[in-house]
Amino acid sequence: MFQRILLAYDGSEPAQKAYGVAADLARKYGAELFVLTVARPPEFAEDVETEAIIENSRDYHERLLVPLRERAAKDGLRARFEVAIGHPAEQIIYGADSAQADLIVVGHRGKTLFQRLLLGSISKQVIQYANCPVLVVR
Amino acid sequence: MLVAARSRRRLWPTRGFDVGEVWGLAALWVGLALLATLVSIWLRIATALSEIAVGTIAQLLIGVLVGTAALGADQPWVTFLAGTGAILLTFLAGAELDPEVFRRKWKEATAVGLISFFVPFLGCAAAARYLLGWDPMASWLAGIAMSTTSVAVVYAVMLEFGFNVTDYGKTVLAACFITDLGTVVALGLIFAPFTYKTLVFAAANAVMFIALPRVTPRFFRRFGGRPSEPEAKFLLLGLFGMGALAVWADSEPVLPAYLMGMVLAGTVGKDHVLIRRLRTLTFGLLTPFYFIRAGSFVSVPVLIAAPGAFLLMLVVKVTAKIAGVYPVTKAFKAPNKEAMYTTLLMSTGLTFGTISALFGLSHEVIDQAQYSALVAAVIASAVLPTLIANAFFMPRHLLRKAHGAEASTPAPAEEMK
Repeated sequence: MFQRILLAYDGSEPAQKAYGVAADLARKYGAELFVLTVARPPEFAEDVETEAIIENSRDYHERLLVPLRERAAKDGLRARFEVAIGHPAEQIIYGADSAQADLIVVGHRGKTLFQRLLLGSISKQVIQYANCPVLVVR
Repeated sequence: MLVAARSRRRLWPTRGFDVGEVWGLAALWVGLALLATLVSIWLRIATALSEIAVGTIAQLLIGVLVGTAALGADQPWVTFLAGTGAILLTFLAGAELDPEVFRRKWKEATAVGLISFFVPFLGCAAAARYLLGWDPMASWLAGIAMSTTSVAVVYAVMLEFGFNVTDYGKTVLAACFITDLGTVVALGLIFAPFTYKTLVFAAANAVMFIALPRVTPRFFRRFGGRPSEPEAKFLLLGLFGMGALAVWADSEPVLPAYLMGMVLAGTVGKDHVLIRRLRTLTFGLLTPFYFIRAGSFVSVPVLIAAPGAFLLMLVVKVTAKIAGVYPVTKAFKAPNKEAMYTTLLMSTGLTFGTISALFGLSHEVIDQAQYSALVAAVIASAVLPTLIANAFFMPRHLLRKAHGAEASTPAPAEEMK
């Protein structure tokens, strides 16, 4: 049923749970797991600082994926890992379309009112615009 | 014991100099900087923006509770640290240029960049002069502050779908450098009286342009890579020396700093380790003094009492940028919403906008009310695109798909005629 599963991963506890669910589904269906983590530049950005944050963020997210790579290898999964830069919901949907994913798995993380106003609910945006089923893990 | 006490030399000169006050003030400023950092982490906004906000609020509260001079924004050592922060920030901004891209795309980039500079520059200057009644020099200053754009913000957008490697992305990025170059050149020359000093300053810049790319790599290869940081000292010597010459010529130190960054972009700019060390110095100590100081001069009561100037500047800036930049994005066949998003993002410009406004205030070209309006407009132009984009969120690659282009690959590159 599922041949390619995209997991949106940010290192949080819900994301770790989401990995567990995605890995289980990948094993059951023999699917390839595509793990995507998104480094987001700051909002209301400043010039030089944005460049520094992108570089730092990219390094941080690469390091975030290291334990997951080991876990996926131990679990015997076919997995590939990518760090994207940009708006999280945008990159998740773009990544799913590019990888021709059959399923997107995201963790649900509660946000403060300000973050919801500023960022919007990422999982809601993914659900609204994704071209494939979306599984939100709580 | 008495003999020992008399023979002990004083470590600090005490005549007219209260050391305790300096350390206390330094603790206050660094405390405010730390608070701004925490706010920026929590709200996911640029630290520069939170520092400006903290500076504004701190001056308001401290002014009410203790007195307007208590923050010490005009203390010589605070002014020096803030000025050094602005110089280093401008140098680093110039060093972000990709010389290879610029060499290949300089004609298109120059055309787009000059339009992106001149349209808001002239539009905002005219609005300040004829709609707000500002005097000519204040109006020119308003035009300069509103003409800026942010290279890194546009770069971040281009990174999202890989447009930074397409002709479209490279042209737009190189154009942003030209726009900012227009801003610093205008800032450095418009307010400087044209005397023999200007010629000496121009000649020194020309010598720097030719000599520095040759001398710097040789010096770094011979003496670099040591814990004593000779590279940082070499660069600071150049920046301070050219800054002193700029002030002597009644110009602005950020002009040679940006030029120095641009000419060294192919050498220093490619040395990521050195750039990171310079960023540590800049963001860790210097720019908080700059942005907090810039924020402390904003008068919130004046803005609340008369918001018209700030709103007009904001509307004219965004409109002028749209008029200048939107046709370019459409020429590359971007869908309307994406073209508008890119254009709005090119309206941001926190660094050079605040530098220009603070230059005007320091040199009494503008007063505090005008300064407050300009800084508020600069900040709003950084905030607005993100708020609009998030309010009307739609994945931009889907817009491209609906428009008929391939969603998973960058837009087809088209050479500008």
